[in-house]
This record gives sequence, C-alpha cells and structure tokens, in this order.
Amino acid sequence: MSLSIFNARLLDPASGLDEIGGILIEDGFITAISLGATGAVGNANEVIDAGGLCLAPGLIDLRVKTGEPGDEQKETLATASRAAVAGGVTSLVVMPDTKPVVDDVALVRYISDRAKVSAKARIYAAGALTVGLEGHAMAEIGMMADAGAVLFTNGDAPISNPSILKRAMTYAASRGAIVMSRPDDSALKGSGVMNAGAFAARKGLAGIPKEAEWIGAARDLMLAEATGCTLILDQVSTPRTLELVADSRARGANVFTTIAAHSLFFNEIDVGDYLTYCKVNPPFRDEETRQAMIAALKAGEIDSVVSAHDPQPPEEKRLPFGEASFGAAGLETTLSALLSLVHDGPLTLLEALAPITSKPADMIGLPEGRLAEGAPADVILFDPNKPWLCEREHLLSRSTNSPFDGRRLQGRVLRTFVGGVQVFER
Amino acid sequence: MSKAAYHYSFDHEHLLGIDGLHPLDLTHILDLANDYAEATRTGQRADPVLSGKTVVNLFFENSTRTMSSFEIAARRLGADVVSMPVAQSSVKKGETLIDTAMTLNAMKPDVLVVRHSASGGAKLLSRKVDCAVINAGDGTHEHPTQGLLDTLTIRRNKGRIEGLKVVICGDIVHSRVARSTTMALHLLGAEVHLCAPRTLMPSGTETWGAASATSDFDRALQGADVVMMLRLQLERMDGAYLPSRREYFRYFGLTQERLALAKGDAIVMHPGPMNRGIEIESAIADGERSVITEQVEMGVAVREAVLHLLAGGRP
Repeated sequence: MSLSIFNARLLDPASGLDEIGGILIEDGFITAISLGATGAVGNANEVIDAGGLCLAPGLIDLRVKTGEPGDEQKETLATASRAAVAGGVTSLVVMPDTKPVVDDVALVRYISDRAKVSAKARIYAAGALTVGLEGHAMAEIGMMADAGAVLFTNGDAPISNPSILKRAMTYAASRGAIVMSRPDDSALKGSGVMNAGAFAARKGLAGIPKEAEWIGAARDLMLAEATGCTLILDQVSTPRTLELVADSRARGANVFTTIAAHSLFFNEIDVGDYLTYCKVNPPFRDEETRQAMIAALKAGEIDSVVSAHDPQPPEEKRLPFGEASFGAAGLETTLSALLSLVHDGPLTLLEALAPITSKPADMIGLPEGRLAEGAPADVILFDPNKPWLCEREHLLSRSTNSPFDGRRLQGRVLRTFVGGVQVFER
Repeated sequence: MSKAAYHYSFDHEHLLGIDGLHPLDLTHILDLANDYAEATRTGQRADPVLSGKTVVNLFFENSTRTMSSFEIAARRLGADVVSMPVAQSSVKKGETLIDTAMTLNAMKPDVLVVRHSASGGAKLLSRKVDCAVINAGDGTHEHPTQGLLDTLTIRRNKGRIEGLKVVICGDIVHSRVARSTTMALHLLGAEVHLCAPRTLMPSGTETWGAASATSDFDRALQGADVVMMLRLQLERMDGAYLPSRREYFRYFGLTQERLALAKGDAIVMHPGPMNRGIEIESAIADGERSVITEQVEMGVAVREAVLHLLAGGRP
C-alpha cells in the first residue's frame, strides 16, 4: 500500500520547511520527501496531485473531552474523531473526566480499545491524577502510564490541597509521567461565569478574575520546581501567567503551556447578549489581553494551542447564562481560528501550525506531528484561503455548541489522512 | 569472648542512636553480641552481670516484639525488668514525657529503654534522668539496636560488612530503621543503596552515608549482596503517598524475578512485621535466602550486649 502526494505546498513546522514538493507514503509512514514542482515521488499505488494545496502534518490536540464512557449523548469517541478529522485533527488526547472517571488501568485500556474499533483518528488517554478526580487519593499513575496514558490531570477541577498535589507530582515525576493542571483557584473563581470587568458588571454577571489563574498557576509552578515534575499549564489566558511560567523556567522547572484556540479568536464582548456558547473557562478575556496572547504565541511563549473541545448538549446550554454549562465544541474550528491569525497578519503559516503539530507532539513524546521520513503518515491537505460559513447544524460532533456558529471563516481542511489512509474528504 | 572486647572500653552513657558512634564502638558491640548469640545457641547461661539492676521498658508506642526482646535480654543477664506499655496508661491521661520520666527517675532504675513517637524523645528523656537510656525507636529518627542487629545478621551471614552492596527498599522517609541501619552499615564500610517511591524518599540521604537514592528498584538490586525490605505502613498506601497496594507491589515488591537481579547468594531481610504480598512475596519471606528469623534472634543478643555495656560494667 503506497500513496504519493505531489505538487503540494509542504509545511513542516518542525524543520521550518515551506516549499512546493511531494511525499511518498508506504505502509502508513512517510518514506520520502521531494522538493520542487515535479510529478509523483516513487512508484505508488495511488497518486494525488494536490494542485498547490497546503500539505501539513495532522493536528495534535492535547485537550479533548468526549462523553465516552458515560455521557454518550454528548459525544462518543467515534463522533469526536469524526469531527476531529474534518477539522484536520489526527491525534487527540481525551480527558479523564468521564463516567466512570479514567482513574484505572482498565479504563485506559477501554479508551484505547474503543478507539481502535470506532475512531478515525488516533486517540490517547489522559489518566486521572486522583481517584475519581476527587483530589484526595493518588490514582495508579505508574500502571496507567505503562498502559499508555500520555499525561495525568485532574481535569476541570484543580486539586485544592497543595500537599496532595505535591505528592502526586513527586510520584508522577519518579515514574516519568507528565502532569497537566488547570491554573485556577476555585475559591477566587467562585461563582464567576465570564471575564471579570466592566462588561461583566454591566451585564450583571459574576466575574472570573485573572488572579484566580495567577494564583493557581503560581502554586502549580512552584510545586513543579520543587518536585521536578514536568507540568503542562492547561489553557492559560493572560500574559501575566506567562511571566510566571518564564520565571519558573529560569529556575529550572520543566513547564509547558497551552491556550484554547477560541481564546485567541474571541474576546469578552463576544458574550454579547448572554450567548452561552461563549461561556467557557478560562473565559474570553478583554481585547488587550487577547492581543497580548497572540503576540506571545508568535514569540513562542505558548507551546501549544488546543481545541478544549467540550461538547455540551442543548439542555446544558439553553439556560440563563449563569446556569449554563461551561465549554465549547472546537475540534472542527481550531485550524480555521489559527488561520484567521495568518490572514489578519500576525502569524506566518508555520507559526500557526507549530503549536498544533510538532510542539504538542514533542511535549508528550509522540512520533506524529511532522513531515519527515519515518514519521507516521498523518497529514492534511488544506486550502488556507477557502472561505466558509460555520453553521452548527453542519458540524460533525454530536454536540455542536460552537462559539463560531454563524461566523465566516477562511481556510479549511479538504482531505485528512491517518497512517496513510484517507479518513476524510470534503 | 573476642579480643576486641577486652581492649576497648565502651565510653557512652546512653545509646540514643548510631549517629555519634565510632566504628570501633560498633565492632565492640557486635563482637559481644555475637558471643551472647553463640552462648544462647549452645545452651550456656550468661553471667548475671545485671544482677540487682533494674531495667524499665518505657514504651509510648505499642510494640510487642521489641519490648519482649529487651525484656528477654535483660532477664538473661539477671536484671529485674519492669515493662510499661505507656501507650495504654497515664500518658493518655495527659501526663507528659518529662513528667513520666521524672516519676520513674525517682524510683532509681539503672536502665530506661524508651520508645516514643516523637523524634528526639529519647534524647529529651536522657537529659532528665540519672540512669542509662536506650533508644528503642524515636519517631522517624533512629532505632539503634535495630541497626546493630541488622549489621550483626549480615556480618554473620557474609563474614564481613566492608564492601558489601546492601539495598534497603521501602518507606525510607518515615523509617527510623533505615536511618540507623544505613549509618551502621556505612560506618563499617558497606555500600548502602536506598530505594523508595519518590514520595517516600527524603532528601539528603547521603548525609546518612547512603551511596545512592533511587526509585528504580530493579536497577538498585543489580549485584546486591543484601536486600532489606521495610514495612509499609498501611495508612501510607491507598492514595496518600502511593496510588495503591498493587501499584506498590508492581514496582517495589520483592518477587522471585526481582530477587534474581541480586547476587545468587544475596540474603533477604525485613525488620518486621511484614506485609506479605505488598512489600515481599511470601515465598521469599519464608525461603532459604531469608534471614528474617535470625534478625529476631540477633535482636536479643544485641540488646544483651548493649545492656551489658551500659549497666553491667566492663565485659
């Protein structure tokens, strides 16, 4: 089984490659790369003329929630992966906050077994850091890591007791496991539902102050320094958090950061007249903050962009803003959101792709996310200019709570390959 | 009795820890203890060097085995023994350690054997009484007679201490046994490697004389002459310091396969009481390489030697 894609604009953030050329795929791996607008590379069973479209590594998404097991009405691994490949995402890490919680070897295996039979994309399980995500007893981090869990997190609910978190990080470090934490002080967040500030005040909504993120981040970073644990700060939303990260890195901490793609696209004003699809945590911040985070992404101060895909069915969103669930569907819009930053000027194509391909792959040690000989043939063909209207009734995830609903976007995936096999075509 | 015993005087008022002892002190105690062990094995009665002396066992923490061991040792040397498991008595009524010590001191004992849950408890007591104090375990600090009995057991089985590779695995951070045994073995020239999940490994173990500290048990075991497993307190498991018993056993349990990584003639030790199936497989605990019951036997011998040296005049 071999496939040759030629006449494509090859984009490989890992090597900085941005040239016309082609690739040869054999038995699921990229086996040759050639540059120049020539014909097919090698003798392949199948040949695709990309016609100048962009060919890039498939996206790697470090933060996806599904409802499987337990809330299959929200999303299954199958429906999430269907949406993923339509958005160009070929590897996704699914969060442990399911029913039951993925806090056990058997559940890690369940996720990978279910993914094998039902999912179009590669699915990696994140394990729960504490049993039941209750923040009390450490989960079986070592055995889950051995079973394939790629990172450990307490999900949306940070561990409130720093002593328990410290021990879990100490233990995780000794087993070589990565911990991902949401920097969020739950007491300060309180009953907040959107960014604290004048807009929230005018709308009469309780605010989530930035200090909640700073204090949560400072605590987690200091524990990373003390324990030597590799830490991913999950969905940072302010430049000051990045200053804290830089300080910890200077002290030797091994820390990475992610940001939700929608936080780079929307600001607090988009909440408008109580649009619950725009209710996320961390909340959409003020415009100055959003611009600062885009600049930080360009400067390489943010390591990865995630979809933070969090499917919520209508019954969770058709509620007064304060009562609605947090969370936004995002698998199908991550790439377009980043491409908007290319069209608007601040980012180059490679700068937009790095935090969703090679960088997250390197963070958790995946071989995917690059156009290189020997790499898994997870690739996408996309047209960076193709305009489209995001309408939630056309989204492929089971829950379609997308804040992009009704937005005109530019740039879209046309074909997606996982392990050399085409899993999506538009 | 070996010659060393005659040419070196044990110049210590108390035995509060291995810390502060000289290698010659250790050798001196071990030689004398070995003589007592041999005497017991051959059915000889020990000289009643503690005849007319009073030994008080003051145990603020429950411990049947250590208290019995001291009691038997003292009786073999002819002492009058009073054992006070204070854990159930007046201390519960609010009496402090010092109050209890002062009261007992007024009764003029010759030796106080004390176990207390606070590190430094034995030291505090020694400052307030006029008799010899033997630390039978103070908090997470030291348990010197355990360190000595471990060392004696190893020396009897291996013929030496110097140059041996000893691996101690388990809850190092909370273990007074680990501290005393590591220091004793290091003083006599062994290479001691400590192994624990990182949550149970303190920093600075090199100051005890440990050659290394690791959470990779398999690697630590390679070429070991002695493998000592420590007891894991049940309350430390199940999520507090460790995920679960089965995960602990998976990475730190001593199994036949793991033991095969050590030298072919490696011996297995455990200070007891054991959690079978958590830190050690039953087949190993009861197997031919286990010297666990010999440790208990040497416990009495070492305590006879220590009591003798502190209260029985020069041997």
